[in-house]
Amino acid sequence: MATLWAAPAMAGDFTVTVRGADGKPVPDAVVMVYPNGQPTKGPIKFPWPYRVAQQNIQFNPFMLVVPVGADVSFPNLDKVRHHVYSFSAGNKFEIKLYGHEENRTAKMNTAGVAAIGCNIHDQMVGFIRVVDTQYAGKTDANGVVTIQDVPAGAIKASVWHPYMRAMKNEKTLSTTSVGAGAAREQVAVELRAPAGH
Amino acid sequence: MFQRLQTKLTVLYAGLFALALSLVAVTVYVAIAKNAQRAVREEMAASGTVFDRVWTLRNQRLHDGAELLSRDFGFRAAVATHDRPTVESAIANLRQRLGLDLAFTVGVDGEVVGLDPARLDLEKLWSALDAEDDAQGVFAIDGKPYQLISAPILSPTLTGWIVFAAKLDEPEMQGLEKLSAIGLDAQVFDQRGEQWVSADTGPVNKPLAAFVAKAMHDKLRAPALLRGGADSLVLVKPIRTLDKSSGAALVLRYPVAQAMAPYQPLMAAVLAVGLIGAALVAAASWALSRGLAKPITALDVAASRLRDGEDVSVEVTTQDEIGRLAQSFNQMASEIREREARMIHQASHDNETGLPNRVAIEAVIAQRLAAAKPGERVVIDAIGLDRFPAVRAAIGYDHATALLPEIARRIKAVAPAAIVGRLTTSILCVVSDLTAIEEVQVRVEGAATALREPVRVGGELVDVHMTQGLAHAGQGEMDASRLIERALIALDQGREAHRKIMVFDPVAYGDPSANLSLMSEMLQGVRDGALFLNHQPKLDLRTGAITGVEALVRWNHPTRGFLRPDLFVGMAEETGHIRALTDYVLGQAIKDQAELRAAGHDVLMSVNISGRLIDDHAFAEHAIAQVAASGARLCFEITETAVIGNPDVALSVLERLAEAGIPVSIDDYGSGLSSLAYLKQIRADELKIDKAFVMTLEAGGKDALLVKSTVDLAHSLGMKVTAEGVETREGLAVLQLMGCDLAQGYHIARPMGLDKLVEFLGGWSIELPGPKETRQDETRRSA
Repeated sequence: MATLWAAPAMAGDFTVTVRGADGKPVPDAVVMVYPNGQPTKGPIKFPWPYRVAQQNIQFNPFMLVVPVGADVSFPNLDKVRHHVYSFSAGNKFEIKLYGHEENRTAKMNTAGVAAIGCNIHDQMVGFIRVVDTQYAGKTDANGVVTIQDVPAGAIKASVWHPYMRAMKNEKTLSTTSVGAGAAREQVAVELRAPAGH
Repeated sequence: MFQRLQTKLTVLYAGLFALALSLVAVTVYVAIAKNAQRAVREEMAASGTVFDRVWTLRNQRLHDGAELLSRDFGFRAAVATHDRPTVESAIANLRQRLGLDLAFTVGVDGEVVGLDPARLDLEKLWSALDAEDDAQGVFAIDGKPYQLISAPILSPTLTGWIVFAAKLDEPEMQGLEKLSAIGLDAQVFDQRGEQWVSADTGPVNKPLAAFVAKAMHDKLRAPALLRGGADSLVLVKPIRTLDKSSGAALVLRYPVAQAMAPYQPLMAAVLAVGLIGAALVAAASWALSRGLAKPITALDVAASRLRDGEDVSVEVTTQDEIGRLAQSFNQMASEIREREARMIHQASHDNETGLPNRVAIEAVIAQRLAAAKPGERVVIDAIGLDRFPAVRAAIGYDHATALLPEIARRIKAVAPAAIVGRLTTSILCVVSDLTAIEEVQVRVEGAATALREPVRVGGELVDVHMTQGLAHAGQGEMDASRLIERALIALDQGREAHRKIMVFDPVAYGDPSANLSLMSEMLQGVRDGALFLNHQPKLDLRTGAITGVEALVRWNHPTRGFLRPDLFVGMAEETGHIRALTDYVLGQAIKDQAELRAAGHDVLMSVNISGRLIDDHAFAEHAIAQVAASGARLCFEITETAVIGNPDVALSVLERLAEAGIPVSIDDYGSGLSSLAYLKQIRADELKIDKAFVMTLEAGGKDALLVKSTVDLAHSLGMKVTAEGVETREGLAVLQLMGCDLAQGYHIARPMGLDKLVEFLGGWSIELPGPKETRQDETRRSA
């Protein structure tokens, strides 16, 4: 996919493995890489759909990474109705009661976090991480994420998780540059139980 | 401890009952108290459970309210978007609706809305809220404990907490108190460092605070008794605190007195019944012991009366031990009385005659003396049977003793009111009923003849001779024994004077106690001239001249005046001072004779030598030497009886005097037991006839014959005869006719001092019946 773009001459994959303090893999942790510490200029496009479905009275996926300005669709796959909202600063929206098979969208205007919930079902919690870099992704069930084609050179990389016990739930990674080959880093984070659930 | 048996028994019984009752009362009280405490403990435990339940329910209710609010979409939106006015209004609205004391939100960023954050420790609160979902517990706001209920605000992630706070003050606790069946006092304590402080605003109860601190420290979860002031049962229940570093406790308190209050009537009833019972027992045992103690009390009273000498007997009312004791007592008392009467009789009566003895007589006299009115005399008469030993020897002891009661009977016949007792073996004593000595004298003299009638003893008539000595005294003058002594002295004086009746003469007797010092005073008198010699001239009946004098010692006592010579001479003889006295007399006689010589009168000077000295060779030699040395002409007068005591020595001494040329004169011849045997042996130059014979000479009769024959006897033995006691001219004439050589007596001259004697001798003249007197007298005068 990266070949579609006028990619720099030298690039490599940056694979980050996130584990909890107990050594278990941490899924849904978002890794953001800023080459030379700069956000990406120009449009950003991720290969996964910008979609958070409501299924079995849960947000699916729990964590979604989208670029700034993305329209995220919230299809209701349940038979009940939902009332999805976000009070997060910059990405405030509210999709009032809507039913099965209905689809609604909301625009993510600001880089940051949109914590989404359902006014009817308190147990429903999800997160949308709005990023301003092309090089971002979330860990899979094994706690591993690979950011592909990161331009060689200096980078500023960080890992974020909504329940991370850290300032702004974010931790700066120790890797400060990547070369032509693949780069790897393993990071340990401390999570806390989500409040109210 | 108790003087009376009745009291003792009553106190014992009543005391025992009271003790038993006290035990019952104490047991009942303890049981009730235990029961009451247990009930209160149970009720407290129940109240504690109720409290837990109420507490939980209320917290739940508040929590529900909090949660409800936290889930409210609009509220969440307001919180999430920091819409402060909206949040504040929403909180105020809910606070009002739920009747909350305080409600506020705390953001995860520490922002507090709805409360001034300065009112609490925000950091602690935030940590507590963050540490736990739905945190709740006691937390201090404004320094006062509040119950805090929290709920998280999720939008959908945690943005903060809604917090409700309820005050734990008195009004709040009163609500809880009302839930209890008993009147519990509930209050909340919270920990401030080491101190536990009540949320109540009243005065600080330090013991309770200390108790709470201890109970919390020791994790004591059961109700316990708190003593001090009013005892109370206290249950300390820990309450969850929001901030785990400090503690809080609900303290339920119930006064024990209040727990006991329902039992007060019961206790009062027990006490009242007990007191009434005790009073009844006391009364009953008083009555019972009275019955028991009465005869013993009667015995006690009778015994003390018996001790005081009263005639007593106890009434025997029962047949039990006490009755027998009373009988024994009566028997004993009567025996004691008999014995006492016998002893008293024996003590006061003479065994042989049955007459009152000396003790009894003394008692009567003492009684009379004490009762005597002024002017009244107590007169007693000591009647002594003369020659009683001789009579006793003649008729036997029993018969002689039998004389006394007979005489007593005669006295009683004369004076029925008089008391007659026996003083000694042979002396009776009469205490007269008359109160004047003169009356008694008249009566005694009148009865003398009747008393002397021969007594018939054992079928034989026995002559009785008696001498009576009378003495009398008024009240306060002397005691009874002294009066008796005086009567006995009078008796002795009477016998001495050969008088049948003699009244005690205090002048003649002197004071025996004063006589004790008499001898030392006499020796002093010798030195300072209180003693001196008087001289009684002796007339030579043949020549009419004064040829001799008898030197008589006299004592002018400085305080007692002239003392009778027989008193102090007798004392000197008895006390061994006669030698000193005699030495003085000899020396003074020698001096006086020298003075007479100097005045031109040469007279033979007679001195009396005591019988005590006549058998003393040492004295004799001393006297002889003195006479020889001075060239005096002395004649030693001795009594015939003086020789009788130790005749061999006495006669040799007289022999020695004769050899030395000192004439010896036998004095008082005829008054004692004159013995012709001794008269023959004594080498005397002169015989002096006792004045008892001479004084009655002129009356003629037997005395004249005796004197005549004595003169003849003396002449035939080669002695001159001097008659003493010549008091009349007729006597003098008779003596001259009888051939008597010398005469001495008041008719010629009384004893006189040396100066008077010189004068007397110078002017002497007498007309004698005989022819030679004038010439002799002339011769004497010219010499």
